[in-house]
Amino acid sequence: MTGFLQGLWLVVTLDLRQRVRTVAWYVLLGVFVVLVAGVTVLLVLATNAFLDGGGGVFSSIVFFVLLLGTLVSPALSANAINGERDAGTLATTQVTLVTTTQIVLGKWLAAWITALAFLAAALPFLVFAVTLGEVPASTILVSTLVTALELGVVAAIGVGLSGLLNRPLFSVAVTYLVVAALSIGTLIAFGLGGASAQSEVRTTNHYVDWMAVERDGVPPGEEPPCLPAQTWTYDVPRFDYVWGFLAANPYVVVADAAPASFDSRGTPTDLFTWIAVGVRQAQHAPELEVEYDECANWTPSGEVLQDDSDTPEEVYERSVPSWFVGLAIHLLLAAGALVWAVRRTSTPAHRLPRGSRIA
Amino acid sequence: MAGIEVSGVARAFGDVHAVRNATFTVEPGHVAGLIGPNGAGKTTLLLMLASLLRPDAGTIRVAGFDPVTDPAEVRARMGWMPDLLGSWASLTVREALVTSARLYGRSTDAARARADDLIGLVDLDELADRPTRVLSRGQKQRLSLARALVHDPEVLLLDEPASGLDPVARAGLRALVRRLASEGRTVLVSSHVLAELEEMADQAVYLSGGVTAAADEIERAARTARDWRVRSLDPERLRTALDAAGWGEVARIDNLGAIVPLASEEDAAQLIAHLIGSGVPISSFAPAVGDLEHVFLDLSRNGEEDA
Repeated sequence: MTGFLQGLWLVVTLDLRQRVRTVAWYVLLGVFVVLVAGVTVLLVLATNAFLDGGGGVFSSIVFFVLLLGTLVSPALSANAINGERDAGTLATTQVTLVTTTQIVLGKWLAAWITALAFLAAALPFLVFAVTLGEVPASTILVSTLVTALELGVVAAIGVGLSGLLNRPLFSVAVTYLVVAALSIGTLIAFGLGGASAQSEVRTTNHYVDWMAVERDGVPPGEEPPCLPAQTWTYDVPRFDYVWGFLAANPYVVVADAAPASFDSRGTPTDLFTWIAVGVRQAQHAPELEVEYDECANWTPSGEVLQDDSDTPEEVYERSVPSWFVGLAIHLLLAAGALVWAVRRTSTPAHRLPRGSRIA
Repeated sequence: MAGIEVSGVARAFGDVHAVRNATFTVEPGHVAGLIGPNGAGKTTLLLMLASLLRPDAGTIRVAGFDPVTDPAEVRARMGWMPDLLGSWASLTVREALVTSARLYGRSTDAARARADDLIGLVDLDELADRPTRVLSRGQKQRLSLARALVHDPEVLLLDEPASGLDPVARAGLRALVRRLASEGRTVLVSSHVLAELEEMADQAVYLSGGVTAAADEIERAARTARDWRVRSLDPERLRTALDAAGWGEVARIDNLGAIVPLASEEDAAQLIAHLIGSGVPISSFAPAVGDLEHVFLDLSRNGEEDA
């Protein structure tokens, strides 16, 4: 072959040329646009976006695109290799001078570009959300980029499985299962894992005897009238043990990767930041010995100072970002699937799956 | 250097031994017929030659290169027409051929020119700009042949090229294959339509139960008794003359004339001399089955006896 990239691009264009000539693809794209349009309208109505800015709308649309993208992508990618084998066109490509690596990578790129077309179709709606204001350029850039990468990961898993499994129907189903495991399975593992690893919390409270204060007035001096310490225990789930599961969730990756945006009170202004705060909150171990001492906060004037609790922004700031761990896991998974598919598809073939012909 | 050299090749799929021991050589300029019953391992053998399947044992050289260690060199010089018809359904005939040529590293211009030539060669001019999914089986077969030729290969592997072709296309295929061989290419054609191969091939590889027949077996099989068909303008006199010469016992008389099993060409010469000498008006005197078929049937029979 004159060049690796040239051969790769040939496979990509061959694949894309066939895709754009099927009617089903346009129908799918049309349905997708209609759905995103509907969701955008509902979001604008639901979030009061014209006043508060487009952050919420923007992040929700990105999630919706990710959802639909990961739902459509397996169907577009997971029959790439075994479907060609069924059609009898894989072997005739393999006897040419393009290598199996070029074929598999080309099919992956074509599937990815197809999935990106959905992201591109959603672009007008993202632009609309941006025009509502209050969406930082960095959020737009990062969330779109990471969403595009996640679509590439799903495409790679699909193409990889289509090289590993013999029947297109089976590989499509398994790809859906992988997507479901990442999107929903991680949430279930997180929830159940955290709930099953419970810890006992001991709370000790030292309360001011407010009845005495009311009866006798504020006592002179520093010492408030105190009640005897009260102690009780209860169980809390330990999400800090299992927060890693969430890191592998593609929605969390997108949300955590996007730069956080808070208002002046430290409250998140978009969906991404809310999720990022939630995920990062889970990193922190609960305090197992809680002591609440009203007496210690007593001031001679009879006031009790309030403990400051952290704002979401403070929680966010004192936690470590997890998105690159999740993204790295996804990229490894994708690369692994592709490499394995290349090895299983390469010719001259060593072994064949039971009951298959390679022609 | 031989175009195709196969020596002691074996390939099993699990416990199914598709090819057990294949050994043969095809020189450039020759057309070899690969002959064998269904399931004899013809397609498996061709897949190994086409660098798609790794043999378990034995060595293969295609155009001087080993398809296992040098697949790219083999692929650049070998054209393969599979038995399974596959085409990129939404591409037109022309696009499919241009794409194939591009996949062999040809420039876009060269690929276009080659596609135009081939479309004329396999007579698909009227369908050149229709998607390949509208092609009939025979037309797809012609497209498949054109694709195998797209990079002007030295060695051609054709798996059942004639199936689905109409008589005119068959005649065209025969002429094309002979011409390609006369240009110095090596051609291996598999088929179980032996009459077809008879007119194309100048050499035969008999494959049965995954084993190629050895040269001495073939020679012996060629020398065994074979049927000759005799036709006469006067069937009654033919019968009488056969009886008189002692052939009445073994000859089978039917409405076309008689079929007489004869051990050798000498016997045939004697018989026809006798018949003409007896004044029988002979209109036709020829072997009832072709050479390939005769050897093939005889080898298969022996194979069954051995088994």
